[in-house]
Amino acid sequence: MQGFETIVLYLGMSVIGVLGMVGLANFLGKFRPAPNKASTYECGVPLLDPSHKRYDVKYYLVAVLFLVFDLETVLLYPVVIKFHEFAKVSWAAFFEIFLFVAILLLGLYYAINKRAVDWE
Amino acid sequence: MIDLIIALIKVVGIWSFTLGVAAVMTWVERRGAALIQDRPGPNRAGLFGILQPVCDGIKLFTKENIVPEKADKVLFNLGPIMFAIPAFSAFAVIPFGDRIIIGGKEILLQISNIDIGFLYIVALGSLAVYGVIIGGWGSNNKYSILGGLRSTAQLISYEVPWGLALLGVVLVYGTFNLREIALAQQGTFLGILPNWGVFHQPLGFILFMVAAYAEANRVPFDLPEAESEIVSGYHTEYGSMKLGVYLFGEYVNITTLSALTVTFYFGSWHLPYINMASFLGDGTIIYGIASFLIFCLKVSFFLWLFVWVRWTVPRFRYDQVMKLGWKSLIPLALFNLFITTLFIQIKYYIGG
Repeated sequence: MQGFETIVLYLGMSVIGVLGMVGLANFLGKFRPAPNKASTYECGVPLLDPSHKRYDVKYYLVAVLFLVFDLETVLLYPVVIKFHEFAKVSWAAFFEIFLFVAILLLGLYYAINKRAVDWE
Repeated sequence: MIDLIIALIKVVGIWSFTLGVAAVMTWVERRGAALIQDRPGPNRAGLFGILQPVCDGIKLFTKENIVPEKADKVLFNLGPIMFAIPAFSAFAVIPFGDRIIIGGKEILLQISNIDIGFLYIVALGSLAVYGVIIGGWGSNNKYSILGGLRSTAQLISYEVPWGLALLGVVLVYGTFNLREIALAQQGTFLGILPNWGVFHQPLGFILFMVAAYAEANRVPFDLPEAESEIVSGYHTEYGSMKLGVYLFGEYVNITTLSALTVTFYFGSWHLPYINMASFLGDGTIIYGIASFLIFCLKVSFFLWLFVWVRWTVPRFRYDQVMKLGWKSLIPLALFNLFITTLFIQIKYYIGG
């Protein structure tokens, strides 16, 4: 038993452990409810507006870029793991990776040029 | 049956061990801070204050478990759990020593020796984002939401160079199996250097370390909880053990990342120039224990490095973090990939 079934055991251990920790704190801590205690944290002044409102979240561009580059990493995995076998035969896989990475670098250059990751 | 018992012992033992290391790390961090800042630090509870983590634990367990009335109850409770479960589980595929053979039965010093261990690590690393964003949004506090957003942007930005830097290691060893990567680091490289990943991938190692500090939310990348700007980020509203689980998860992450650094770049349980397996005998119990201790020694150095860096480097500004990630690390990581493929290709071209 040194394969996937032990991972299931380990994950189970983590789930039980974390739920146990959070759950135990519920029983050990005393509850003394008070209206001020349960109010939203603010630096000493009354709360003016709700928090769930519309922001200009600039990070969405970062998220889109992340999707592209993470997907690219995933696409590289199968080539990379077999690269030694490809390299023995010919230069084809090398040029393939080179082309792939070059296109991505070009894309990254475009995104940076369009100021997608700038904050001003 | 005996297999199941051995597996259970390993699972429970290593799970508790990683959490124990994380608990001791909270103490090491505070003592280390004190050492660097020339003050005593926590020294009352037990010898040298070693029982301080126990006191902290008792305090967190017995605190009142406040849920803010405006918070989304389900998401607020789900956040810390979603953060901690991947953090606590990531150690399952890391080999922490070689093997022990008792009565013809081979016991690997590793929870599970699977061929896609690398993918498991990367997958669990990405899951941490959900805990942060769910906790930040569920708290319904503007500091929490801003902290959660920042943290998400930072984590996903640095996940790309992190993954790409590790891809260089996979390229060198040609396997996703962490045990095979560790075993391949035996011997010498170019005749004089130990055959460790760091000498095959010097640029990749630097990229990995920088990205690992950002992934673990550590100084100089601790912007998700920059106190002077957004109180304490995504866990502003948390208290009791829910906060404890967030903070503790971070220390477990640090332990896992240190262990990964050692596995990928610093020869896992191998000593430089000495072949321990032939010295102590492959599969003997003493060899198993020795390999485990060497692994622990190497990991503890990288754990200390986390503390050391924390009190040496100041925090980045947010635009600098994004600039470093997208304009330096990702192009360099892609360049590293290109160079590595070129070297391997030339090696085969010359070698025939």
